[in-house]
Amino acid sequence: MNRILVALAGATLLATPVLAEDVTLELWSRQDTSGPLRPGNVVKAAERLNAELEAEGSDKRVIVEVRESPAPGFDEDALQLLRVFGIGEGPDMFIQAHEWICAFQQDGFVLKLDDYLAKYPEHFGTIFPSLWESGKCPDGTYAIPQDAEARMFFYNKKLLREAGYDDAFIEAMPERTMSGDLTMDEVVEIAKSVVDKTDAEYGILHRPSKGPDYLMVFQTYGNDFVDPATGELLLERDKLAEAFGWFEKAVADGVIPANNTSMEWDAIRAEFYAEDNAAFWMYGIWDLGSRAFPTYGLPEDEEAFFKDWGWIAMPAAAKGGKPSSLTHPVIYAIAADTAEPELAVRLLGHASAVDLNTDHAVTTTHLGIKPEQLDDPRYAAAWPLARATELLEVTKFLPNNPQFGDLNGIIYTAMQGVETGRLSAEEAADFVIDEAEATLDNVMVK
Amino acid sequence: MSAIADDLRRERAGPGRQRNRRRANFVIFLGPAIVLTILFFVIPVIIDVVVSFTDMGRSLQITGFTTEQYEKIFGGDRRLVQVIGLTLLYVFATLAIFNLTFALVLALVTTATNRMTGNFFRGVWLLPRMSPSVLYILLWVWVINPSEFGLLNQILMSVLGLETPIDPLNEAPVMLIIIANGFIGASMGMIIFTSAIRAIPEHLFHAARVDGAGSMAIIRHITLPALRWPISFVTIYQTLSLLVSFEYILLLTEGGPFYDTTVYALYIFRRAFDTGQYAYGAALAVFIIALGVFFALLGWRFFDMQKLLQRPRIEVQ
Repeated sequence: MNRILVALAGATLLATPVLAEDVTLELWSRQDTSGPLRPGNVVKAAERLNAELEAEGSDKRVIVEVRESPAPGFDEDALQLLRVFGIGEGPDMFIQAHEWICAFQQDGFVLKLDDYLAKYPEHFGTIFPSLWESGKCPDGTYAIPQDAEARMFFYNKKLLREAGYDDAFIEAMPERTMSGDLTMDEVVEIAKSVVDKTDAEYGILHRPSKGPDYLMVFQTYGNDFVDPATGELLLERDKLAEAFGWFEKAVADGVIPANNTSMEWDAIRAEFYAEDNAAFWMYGIWDLGSRAFPTYGLPEDEEAFFKDWGWIAMPAAAKGGKPSSLTHPVIYAIAADTAEPELAVRLLGHASAVDLNTDHAVTTTHLGIKPEQLDDPRYAAAWPLARATELLEVTKFLPNNPQFGDLNGIIYTAMQGVETGRLSAEEAADFVIDEAEATLDNVMVK
Repeated sequence: MSAIADDLRRERAGPGRQRNRRRANFVIFLGPAIVLTILFFVIPVIIDVVVSFTDMGRSLQITGFTTEQYEKIFGGDRRLVQVIGLTLLYVFATLAIFNLTFALVLALVTTATNRMTGNFFRGVWLLPRMSPSVLYILLWVWVINPSEFGLLNQILMSVLGLETPIDPLNEAPVMLIIIANGFIGASMGMIIFTSAIRAIPEHLFHAARVDGAGSMAIIRHITLPALRWPISFVTIYQTLSLLVSFEYILLLTEGGPFYDTTVYALYIFRRAFDTGQYAYGAALAVFIIALGVFFALLGWRFFDMQKLLQRPRIEVQ
């Protein structure tokens, strides 16, 4: 009986020229309206990879299965994925915010990519060298940058005009910021006069949850959070206190609402984009493509947009100082235990193709990853990208330290403490240091 | 002597068939409770204690055993004192104001009016408990919205003429979580007290009236003494329940602003799930288990619950 079965199987194999072997690669991705093509491009890339495999005569065919996580933010998503890997249910590939990559590397969940990247220069050779920093851990590269962006203060020119600022002043703000002439305190002053002289209720609004943007304020006050020599987390008490002091002053002046951290995302956006009720909104360039244009109907034409709206980098702490901006690349990474690392690398290589990445960039106003994208007419036509690129000269990354996500949670809690009047700026700096020393390892304090 | 004693004697002296019957009864009546207690109390407690002696971090992996978590609790965690103080305030205020006093008032008032009205108002007060917690908190979020569109502010501004809207979430967060939890907690005491009041023989009230007792005297001398055991039970049960519940607080305030409404159970959750310090969360949880057992025993002793469980002195036919 067995012999008959074997013979039958053999005959079937001989009769079929090539029996395609399906390889299913699972991709973990957070449900995120600001970047649906991050997983979408990987799915599309499978067609290209399969065509390539067919041409090579390989009998393997890749199927991408996207596993969407409903986490509200990248930090929650990273913690969830770490648990999923921890119980051995991890995906083959995942999409994450770059600062978490070394947390995955530390626990041995992510594949080291250096050899693969060298092997496929056609896919990865031209990605901006600076962006690779976002995928590096101390002993090598573990992630492929998927996009970049710039974060800034958006401002409502209508309100500034109403508060008595003339066009010359308003139009000069971006340049004054870049030259270090406009300071953080002056932003609070401008916001205060908007609140005092117009009907607008808010001067400055920021995100109501843990995330990267408010860290720009800390960066502009000189907090880099990592000791360059050792790579360990570094907390500098005075610099922390200065940054918290800015929030403290802004709340005391009635510019940032004390309950900013308990406001709703959509309410905040509506106050700024739709109601003309806030002078500044601290967020990032992709907000234009994903929310401001489609949801709130801001003009998509460059000239019309800049007539009433504008943006500036995070101004310097003091006159003559350096402004800052933050780019927060999202990355593709591959699981250390995937059965098909080679195919996963090639798949993500195709997903990083110029045209696919440009689709993502122009539809969600994220910055591209390759210089060739600049030549794409669609990219050139997407003016927010070109204009945001101007900020790249002052742009920094968040540190790729495995504990940085946890530190950011502590900083956010302290910031909430300052804004709601529970902590003074000095106490907040002490709180961050105390909490970090008690709960994190190897924290350097100055 | 009594019928009960006879039964007992018969049972004890009974032949094998009756012994088997007793065993079967034990399994049928107590078995499910014992299985549930083992599954959902004993085993989780053992797992929690084991995890608390490990270094389990955000990827749920254990690389070694350590007492580091307990050292952190007794040495490094500066939030704990504030968190414990808040927990005691929250538990006892909610219990004293709503779960007991307000529940008692509701039971007394709704049993004193006619049956229809009483049923209606008890139904209304059961609504918060029947609503899904997310829906209930969504309503609260609308009520306390700090702009002029929040229900509370609409009332304060249009009826009472307040000029600027208030923000209870920021200005009185502890009061807010006590009220939000109390509105739910009151209904349980209300139901139990109502049934206890209904169980008081009617003739006692008539006799008291005949003797010239007023309403307050009737409550004091007839109703309240009859409620002694229900009150004891509700106190112990609700203390334990409030000690470990945090979902409404998490949904309403997320434990904030800052740590203002982070009660002990929520603190465990924040430590374990916000930052992935699972072993530390487990060590903190060991103390809430101990505290729960302590409060249960204290209540047992204080209210002399043993007496409640004694065999009745009258014969039951």
